[in-house]
Amino acid sequence: MKRFKIGFFVAGVLMISFLTGCTTRLPGQPTEAERWRAPTDVTDFSQLYAQNCAGCHGVGGRLGAALPLNDPLYLSFVTDEALRTAISKGRPGTNMPAFSQQVGGSLTDQQIELVITGMRRQWSRPDELKGVELPSYSVNGIATSNSPKSATVNDYSVNPSQTSDAQRGAVAYQTYCAGCHGVNGAGGTAGSIVDPYFLNLVSNQGLRTTVVVGRSDLGKPDWRSNVPGHPMSSQEIDDVVAWVAMHRQTAEATSVTATEGTRAVSLQAK
Amino acid sequence: MAVTEPETLKKEQPKTLHIEMPRRAFLLKLGFILNGIAAMFVSVPVLGYVLSSFRTEGPFKSWIALGPVESFPENQTRLAKYRNPYTRPWDGPTANIPCWVRRVQGEKFQIFAINCTHLGCPVRWFQESHLFMCPCHGGAFYEDGSHASGPPPRGLYEYKYKIENGQLWVYGGQLPTLNQSA
Amino acid sequence: MIERLTRIALWIDERVYISKLFAATAGHSVPRTSGSWFYVFGSGTLVCFMIQIVTGICLALVYVPSASEAYSSLEYLNYQQQLGWFLRAMHNWGSNFMVAIMLAHLIQVFLFGAFKYPREMTWISGVVLLLCTLGMAFTGQVLRFDQDAYWGLGIGAAMAGRVPLMGPAIVHMMLGGPIIAGETLSRFFTLHVFVIPGTIIAIVSLHLRLVLTKGINDYPVPGKLVNKETYIEEYEEELKKDGVPFFPKAISKDMIFSGLVLLGIVGCAAYFGPAGPRGVPDPSLINTAPKPDFFFLWLYGVLSLMPDYLETVLMLTAPFIVIGILFAVPFISNTGEKSPRRRPLAVLSVLFIFIVLGVFNYLGTFAPWSPHMEAWTSAATPVNYLEGRSPLERQGALVFHNKQCVNCHSLGGAGGLRGPTLDNVATRLTGDQLVRQVIQGSGNMPAYGKNLNPSEVTALVAFMRTLHSPTESPARDSTRSEQAAAEKTPAKALAQTGEMQE
Repeated sequence: MKRFKIGFFVAGVLMISFLTGCTTRLPGQPTEAERWRAPTDVTDFSQLYAQNCAGCHGVGGRLGAALPLNDPLYLSFVTDEALRTAISKGRPGTNMPAFSQQVGGSLTDQQIELVITGMRRQWSRPDELKGVELPSYSVNGIATSNSPKSATVNDYSVNPSQTSDAQRGAVAYQTYCAGCHGVNGAGGTAGSIVDPYFLNLVSNQGLRTTVVVGRSDLGKPDWRSNVPGHPMSSQEIDDVVAWVAMHRQTAEATSVTATEGTRAVSLQAK
Repeated sequence: MAVTEPETLKKEQPKTLHIEMPRRAFLLKLGFILNGIAAMFVSVPVLGYVLSSFRTEGPFKSWIALGPVESFPENQTRLAKYRNPYTRPWDGPTANIPCWVRRVQGEKFQIFAINCTHLGCPVRWFQESHLFMCPCHGGAFYEDGSHASGPPPRGLYEYKYKIENGQLWVYGGQLPTLNQSA
Repeated sequence: MIERLTRIALWIDERVYISKLFAATAGHSVPRTSGSWFYVFGSGTLVCFMIQIVTGICLALVYVPSASEAYSSLEYLNYQQQLGWFLRAMHNWGSNFMVAIMLAHLIQVFLFGAFKYPREMTWISGVVLLLCTLGMAFTGQVLRFDQDAYWGLGIGAAMAGRVPLMGPAIVHMMLGGPIIAGETLSRFFTLHVFVIPGTIIAIVSLHLRLVLTKGINDYPVPGKLVNKETYIEEYEEELKKDGVPFFPKAISKDMIFSGLVLLGIVGCAAYFGPAGPRGVPDPSLINTAPKPDFFFLWLYGVLSLMPDYLETVLMLTAPFIVIGILFAVPFISNTGEKSPRRRPLAVLSVLFIFIVLGVFNYLGTFAPWSPHMEAWTSAATPVNYLEGRSPLERQGALVFHNKQCVNCHSLGGAGGLRGPTLDNVATRLTGDQLVRQVIQGSGNMPAYGKNLNPSEVTALVAFMRTLHSPTESPARDSTRSEQAAAEKTPAKALAQTGEMQE
């Protein structure tokens, strides 16, 4: 009987506290975080990154198929303007799609800013790179802009500058890159970088970025450590990019006939 | 339910019923007829009211401006929204109707309904793969709206359009289904 | 004092015959065998219905059945109204319990042969109640006026729109206009709050009256056959010999079960909370993947997996066939054996139907037929598919994302399940076959021919050729030496495929 009484008492207390809605928060009560939000109202960087970037740039900004964004060196190398352009308009001709709503993407301008500041806040380490003189982001030191015209062709907006020279690049290549990519660039442990199909899918700016900052997550060294203690000079970087990009041209011819082939097949398919 | 009514109440009625048979019978008949007529007068407006929405003809569709032609770049497909022309003040967000506008080139457009032809789910355009995909059962359509794969029985529904004073107009206002155009 | 109260009670009873009503209903005599744990589901369903009425009335005090305000009133219930979330949760869980217990009741009644002579009408009224309850479940889902509700209506309209000739008129009738809008919600509100509950109350009364007049089913005994000539006499004989008043002799298990059901509803409501609302019902917000509530997931599955050519026919006839069969059950097997021990076909058909529905419902929970619309930007490629790969192959992994392949094909468990998972694709298809599949597609895969340039195809295929476990070697073309196959670039192969087909 006494047990019963205690039971009733506890139940009564629970009941009253429940009815007055104070103190106890039951697990089923919806929290503010569970409230539905329009995708354009999402402002949390981690969520924005996970939904829009992680697929290619990797979970946590590393070990994706595309270049790692969680790389202090890259974040110091790239300008805000270049990031903004790349995210909002994409990199036509490469696998970077456009995210701005103005061009049919899913992110608002404000969200794009949030992604940029979020990356810098979470992954930048400017102190570590103090005193290091970084090569400029683009060849002529200005952020690249993509004109819509180049959407169908490759992104050649960063043409090798006047001063770059593929011949000199070939020499620099032997010094800095041949160790991994093979003597003629077509092999070695790291795989071919002169494969025309590969080159058709990357921009010269992309090549330049990879030459300079490397891929820290996959073990590709940056411009300082190809040959330890002997960083590539600005000129050498330009030249190597020019030399690698040169191999793209030879691919042009094959790609035209192949496109014809593709058409024929797709017509058949219909 | 199965409650038996008290015996006393039941017994009195039969007597009176026998005595005034002709008059009672007449009144009963009259009652039936009167109520039959009344039922008709009641049911006609009620049914008319309820069934009025069976009507598919009506001032449902009209031309709506989607914006200046220049806002749709050539060779691109963009989401456009309009307020449904046939609307009531309490429709709220449900009357914001989306559609996919594809500007083929120049003044040649294609305007697709958002609804998948399979079961009406909202198809989404992917400009990278040039496909419309449906999130429900995986139907896919090519950029010209033709059926690419999956369960949909036909290509996307298309709206009529016109260009006037540099504006793109769409002829809409009705949820498209298989037997009813957009 | 007590005497006075007793006198008042007696006075009232003398006027309104409460005790007689009680004796004739709750006190009616039932076979002792019916006081069984198997016989608790009917009353359990009724208790759920009462909870639904109470919570439903409470919700209607706040809810606004207007297309422009319904959503904000639901959010108000969840976040501002004192205990509003709890009432929503109880209503939601009450409906889940009601459907589940009603199905248990249906199975029990079917297996125990309770639909046989003379209880055909009890069964038929029960089928009507089943349909009404499912109707309540669907209309209730609409009243939670969010994106799922909106597109659920769209699906309903698309199905109704397939009816030949009448299609558009039916759609207009269902939506109350040319589009899903204000009148649609009012319509479903009316059904959910007035029409269907009214019908349910009326038919429950009939159902219960039939239980009283035709008696509750006696516990089936193998070998005891139902015979039209003798059944009623035998039943009354049994009542006389071994009958007990329902109250208080046979009701205890019902009461215990009902109590557990109520506690279950409250417990689930407190622990799991309400459902949704998920998103303003604005059709122009297209980033949505509509999904039906639990009890319609099987339907979602059936609709997705049906072969295309049968779709319209099945959609329009299957419901009528199924309902027709349900109604016909008591006439298909009207007399004879009642015990499930002697009715293997009945047991098997129940098992079969529930396995089928169970499988479809299970599939419906993760919907393998739906592409994951966000996968291309959110589902990362497994790291071991990228490490040690050539630049071209890594570009292929990017093409795989950028062209939304991953929306339908998963890698390492991330991505859609619409198409086959590609973790081992290299062991199944040779390079040429991959090229052809990508370019031409197949019934369930779009042809990517026009939408990929040769470099993209090459990179993509190069990447897919790496997708095999270290212990398995990739598939190769038996008509060609490996050396030649390696040299042959997909682009050339492409041109050749084109020629060959011409």
